[in-house]
Amino acid sequence: MATAPRSGGSGSGAAQRPNGTSQNKSCQFKLVLLGESAVGKSSLVLRFVKGQFHEYQESTIGAAFLTQTICIEDTVVKFEIWDTAGQERYHSLAPMYYRGAQAAIVVYDIQNQDSFQRAKTWVKELHKQASPNIVIALAGNKADLSNIRVVEFDEAKQYAEENGLLFMETSAKTGMNVNDIFLAIAKKLPKNDNNPGTVIKPNGNESTQTTNNCCK
Amino acid sequence: MEATASSKFSDVDEYGFKRGDKFDYKFYGKFMDGYLKILTRRRIKWEGLLEQNPDLTLISPKLKRYIRKGIPGPYRADVWMKISGADEAKQRNPDLYRSLLNIQHFNKEICDSISIDLPRTFPDNIHFDAKKERLFNILCAYAHHNRDVGYCQGLNYIAGLLLIVTDDEEKSFWLLKHIVENIVPQYHSHNMANLLRDLAVFRELVIRRVPAVNRHVEDMNLPYAVIASKWFICIFAEVLPVETVLRIWDCVFAEGYKIVFRAALAMFITHKNDILGCDDIAALATLFRDHMIQDSIVTDCHSFVEAMFSLRLKRNELESLRKVAVLNGN
Repeated sequence: MATAPRSGGSGSGAAQRPNGTSQNKSCQFKLVLLGESAVGKSSLVLRFVKGQFHEYQESTIGAAFLTQTICIEDTVVKFEIWDTAGQERYHSLAPMYYRGAQAAIVVYDIQNQDSFQRAKTWVKELHKQASPNIVIALAGNKADLSNIRVVEFDEAKQYAEENGLLFMETSAKTGMNVNDIFLAIAKKLPKNDNNPGTVIKPNGNESTQTTNNCCK
Repeated sequence: MEATASSKFSDVDEYGFKRGDKFDYKFYGKFMDGYLKILTRRRIKWEGLLEQNPDLTLISPKLKRYIRKGIPGPYRADVWMKISGADEAKQRNPDLYRSLLNIQHFNKEICDSISIDLPRTFPDNIHFDAKKERLFNILCAYAHHNRDVGYCQGLNYIAGLLLIVTDDEEKSFWLLKHIVENIVPQYHSHNMANLLRDLAVFRELVIRRVPAVNRHVEDMNLPYAVIASKWFICIFAEVLPVETVLRIWDCVFAEGYKIVFRAALAMFITHKNDILGCDDIAALATLFRDHMIQDSIVTDCHSFVEAMFSLRLKRNELESLRKVAVLNGN
């Protein structure tokens, strides 16, 4: 079950440790959000980073950059999140954001079959063009509207399994599975000292307003 | 509401936009004390100018100076139409807009993508709900008029603001057409070729004018595309405070694309210390996304426009940088 989103919290749910030891590792990962226009990419980020939801989230022009930190076991994981514009013509800017990304969330809208097809195209492109070890999660968003869904859960799940993707249905509106999908990605990412992400200083200046010191 | 209790200013601006939670009423009050006097003086000056020269077809040095100091609100729509040449284009093709609205079968894909963006265009504007149908008409007509562009996200903000200023669908259509085709051609088309080129040009200008700022931004690894794509695509609509955008647009309609670079460069130069003060990418991104676009520097539109014009910037330089950018594959 999803944890209730908390404004300003890093909210990683059950895996969050209130007080860890001082032996924490810190990892930083670049994560990109891709998917058709208006499927809820920016809303997922807003929910994850600020615990907020806007019914009429403004469309992303170009791209946006945000950060959020979560903790799993003894590791502080900082996500550098690149939120992209969904409209097809902004596609030419996308490689700039997924290049070097260690993780991607490909989002579709469970009410929109085209957006699911578009998500598959993104997955293909990532498999071809992005880092070979990229962790990809597929998010079927707007799950609060599952009574009017057109993309079946099982269909998406099967596709995800066949293609080695993490998969969850999410709702940026209710918060369902939002923290969980980021957490699942964080768990799957390599966190040894040689991880491809930059190791940040344990007491480095954290400037994100939403970071809480969950492991300190 | 608390913020307004001590302020003579409402929490909704004169264009219907709700002022954000962080709106600095105290600074705004101080700024408006001076700016209202400027507005009154400009209004009187413009009355005289329009009496002498009502058609404004030739942009004399005097007219240019007047425009840079701000076109008074009540004259803005008509002056934009005239100085841009949009009025002339409309007269040459007076039935175009109506005929576009009468197209029998609109392309469904285009209509759908516009419809998706309607509710998320200026949701914080208290008057705009009533204008959404007209915004749809403008965007749909334009998308069918110019198939090379169709509908590009971001045009909703430009057309929306034009509609707020002109309160006239047809004028908004012609001004939108002028921006998309004459001011910043190929920014909004399917490959956005000129957008990428001009982002590269802008980076080069920052290197030339404020090299330390460029070094810092690049050390932090924040791409110019994240910082400035929306600035260029929307010509600062839905980026800067409305009054500031309109003052920039006054000059854009009179002087063309160069003004977009002036404004972008002024953003970097006036915020040089803020940018250099950010010591990681997250802080820098937040500065560009949240703080810089609504702080006192950009709220004081009059000083901001002055800062834009205190920069050295010649068309020749931009044109040669554009050639280099194209050769470099941008």
